[in-house]
Amino acid sequence: MEGVWGNREVPPATPALPASAALAPRKPGVAEAPPGEPRHVGYLYLLPALGVYAAFVLWPLGHTVWLSLHQWDGLTPATWVGLDNYREIVESGPLRSAFVHSLVLILFYAVIPVTLGLVLVAALSRAQVRGQAVFRTILFLPLVIPMVVVAVIWRMIYEPQNGSLNELLRAVGLDSLTRPWLGDFGLALPAVGVVGTWVMTGLALVLFMAGVQRIPQSLYDAARVDGAGAVREFFAVTLPNLRGEIAVALTLTTIAALRNFDLVYLTTQGGPGDATSVPAFQVYNRAFQVGQVGSAAAIGFSLACVIFLFSFLITRISERER
Amino acid sequence: MIGRGEQALNYAILLLFSVIALYPIVGIVLTALAPPGELVGFGIPSSLHLENFSNAWDEGHFSTYLRSSVIVAVAVVSASTVLSILAGYAFGTMRFRGATAGFYVFLLGLMVPQEALVVPLYFDLRRLELTDTYWALILPQVALSVAFGTFWMRAFFLATPRSLLEAARIDGASSWTTLWRVLVPFGRPAILTMMVLVFMWTWNEFLLALVMVSSENLRTAPLGLAFFQGQHTSDLSLLAAGAVIVATPVVLVYVFLQRHFIRGMLSGAVKG
Amino acid sequence: MASVTYDRATRAFGSTVAVSELSLEIADGEFMVLVGPSGSGKTTALRLLAGLEPLTAGHVRIGERVVDDVAPRERDIAMVFQDYALYPQMSVRQNLAFGLRIRKLSRAEIDRRVERAAEMLGIGPLLERKPRQLSGGQRQRVALGRALVRDPQVFLMDEPLSNLDAQLRAQTRGEIRRLQREVGTTTVYVTHDQVEAMTMGDRIAILRDGLLEQVGAPDDVYAEPANTFVAGFIGSPAMGLTRAGVERNGGASRLVLGDLRLELGDVRELPAEVVVGVRPEHTRPWDGDGGLIGPIDGRVEFTESLGRETLVGVAAPGDSRFVVAIDGLAHLEPGSSLRFGLRRGWLYVFDAADERALGRV
Repeated sequence: MEGVWGNREVPPATPALPASAALAPRKPGVAEAPPGEPRHVGYLYLLPALGVYAAFVLWPLGHTVWLSLHQWDGLTPATWVGLDNYREIVESGPLRSAFVHSLVLILFYAVIPVTLGLVLVAALSRAQVRGQAVFRTILFLPLVIPMVVVAVIWRMIYEPQNGSLNELLRAVGLDSLTRPWLGDFGLALPAVGVVGTWVMTGLALVLFMAGVQRIPQSLYDAARVDGAGAVREFFAVTLPNLRGEIAVALTLTTIAALRNFDLVYLTTQGGPGDATSVPAFQVYNRAFQVGQVGSAAAIGFSLACVIFLFSFLITRISERER
Repeated sequence: MIGRGEQALNYAILLLFSVIALYPIVGIVLTALAPPGELVGFGIPSSLHLENFSNAWDEGHFSTYLRSSVIVAVAVVSASTVLSILAGYAFGTMRFRGATAGFYVFLLGLMVPQEALVVPLYFDLRRLELTDTYWALILPQVALSVAFGTFWMRAFFLATPRSLLEAARIDGASSWTTLWRVLVPFGRPAILTMMVLVFMWTWNEFLLALVMVSSENLRTAPLGLAFFQGQHTSDLSLLAAGAVIVATPVVLVYVFLQRHFIRGMLSGAVKG
Repeated sequence: MASVTYDRATRAFGSTVAVSELSLEIADGEFMVLVGPSGSGKTTALRLLAGLEPLTAGHVRIGERVVDDVAPRERDIAMVFQDYALYPQMSVRQNLAFGLRIRKLSRAEIDRRVERAAEMLGIGPLLERKPRQLSGGQRQRVALGRALVRDPQVFLMDEPLSNLDAQLRAQTRGEIRRLQREVGTTTVYVTHDQVEAMTMGDRIAILRDGLLEQVGAPDDVYAEPANTFVAGFIGSPAMGLTRAGVERNGGASRLVLGDLRLELGDVRELPAEVVVGVRPEHTRPWDGDGGLIGPIDGRVEFTESLGRETLVGVAAPGDSRFVVAIDGLAHLEPGSSLRFGLRRGWLYVFDAADERALGRV
């Protein structure tokens, strides 16, 4: 029988190393990085961005919270008032209604465009339309234009005497429906909202169109084989797969609604009366026009919290049902 | 296969919404071209009165406003691009203590609205006598853009194959060399998209300018337009011309680079 | 030009050990192949040598120099990655020159090296192109070229052929080996393909689960596997392994397969439980020849026709399995019976408990 062999070639521990070569594990923690891999230099790369960011975002954020706990007119020394400013937001009529108006704007900026977008995407067949890029460019245009310009345009449209809207109504014989849109207590807020709908619908539509084209045809085929009609197909295949896009659309549009300043400032200045008052406008108004800086800070910080809350909720809901 | 009827329906829907999207925009352009005082609604002007634009440019001082906007936009885009690339590179390729926490700190900036920051910013900068300067416009916007930019560039660097970084390291490249000679040329589309988005947000920024700027020389275009509207409530065609002037640069950039714009927005940029 | 030594090199991630006390000496100019299934630690071992992974314990030496804490750029090594890792925005020439420019070589020297590598690899006409304009095979050559121009002490290759189609792979195998002989640089080559290992390596090191199972020349490892893992891993078609018992009968031993007893003759003491292995080429249908151990009556389970021979999977007594090679095209129905024998002297015996090789009978 042949002899036994085994791991013949494996050398014994090399004796040529210095005595300190006892095999203790190397320094833990530090041992995780291969030699020459950039590590601490990362802090240096980070420093410039972090510096500017900390100075002009983090510090002001903290300062806002500090200011919100005081009452201050911007000139004379401030007085500590604790949570009074926040209490005012919850209790006082004008501030409460400002936030309520924001919710109404969310309806116009977010809910309607997203719903419209979904309805349209359901109606559109999934195949690529020729010239799609052109349509996308056009639909996105309202988002690109400065909000100030949008405000100027729509103020012209809503102008009671010569504005495009009333002219159109007169042209089709609906004179009775003409209104001073931005001056009407009941209609001013919806009028502002409609502008938001005009701006945001393009975003929702483009987002959903792109999302739908990413859904594999095989899912639709499977549904069809199972006997699903068009409506069923939409709810069973399209909608669930657009979850990500819907979340993004809702987040972007909701934040835009909550932050609405430019439009209100340039069209109604919060009026008539308080009809279109929104939190962002109140921040500006109170800080720089009526000398209630503490209150303004409180509103600003609350707005930030509301935005954060909405983003968080939207993300949670969309991810939970995955 | 898509039937004729379906295709017609598609075109009809898209056409309808395109018209709705374009109508106000076309309208303002037409108003800007009309002789003063003529227009009612958004009708077609009887003649092309191009002097509206030159009037807005000179009398309306829109040349000054545009110059100011350009200075601020160029400064913000350049600074935030460089800073975001550096920070994104660190977060996306290096492992160091506090990296994850640090990234979340930046992520916060994506959600914080300016409305919460302008108030203390104004008073702090006033104390430093920096209000009504370009710094007051540039620095806060760089800070906010850097939050987005870092998030964006980090995502790009994370997607780079590790082997590419390792090959560069074995070849002897330092982290700096690897970044600028290997990765950045590779990342031009992503960087361009970021620059285009930051440009748009900076150009369109209104609240910050309104709060910080008082002297006319420094007014950025949107702010200038707002003042103009306050002064010229009757001369609509002049106002319209001003509006068109303010919107044109950003629309031009958009039309030429729209692929990047849309891609950027579709990637879920959180900042409004 | 240098030797490479792994001295109890260990790489652990928390409680997972990727490479466990690897000790291996690679001679100057040798082409050493690290081979093993995925997760065996072969790539990690390579990366330890490259300096892309930190050592948890142990040492690595290049030549006489301990390189444990030395950055990759200082180790004078060059590496070919599995996905080639070519710099995407640079031309092929710039890709090749990159490492040299960083090391501040003269323009003339860089050009000389680039030209030489281009000629050796046949990529001269591609020098001005960008990687995305190249085919997979061309990119692979550029990756090789990048390593060549560096003229390092050690070449490291991480499965460079796995992204090529089979035909190209076979062709390139030979070329890499030829190139290496020409330049004479020590090479450590990682692959999961044992055919590649056997045809390319001066020596091969087989790893499994972070441990070195065996190292030796391909012929030696083929003829004298150290354990059942190596025996079953090396060689194609694979060795058939099956459990069996052993009985002693006076001075002679017998192999026990169920009810079947096979005389083994006068062999040394064997444990009661063994694993036996035999390569298909060392089996034949029974012909009564004295040079065969048997006969074994089995039932055909499957056949695999390779043209010049047919491999027949056979179930034999004692729940044992063998793969029998029959010359030419043999048509055997599954379920039919086959009587076969095993060539005397080529039946490998392994300890069933620790899988170690005990010898051949």
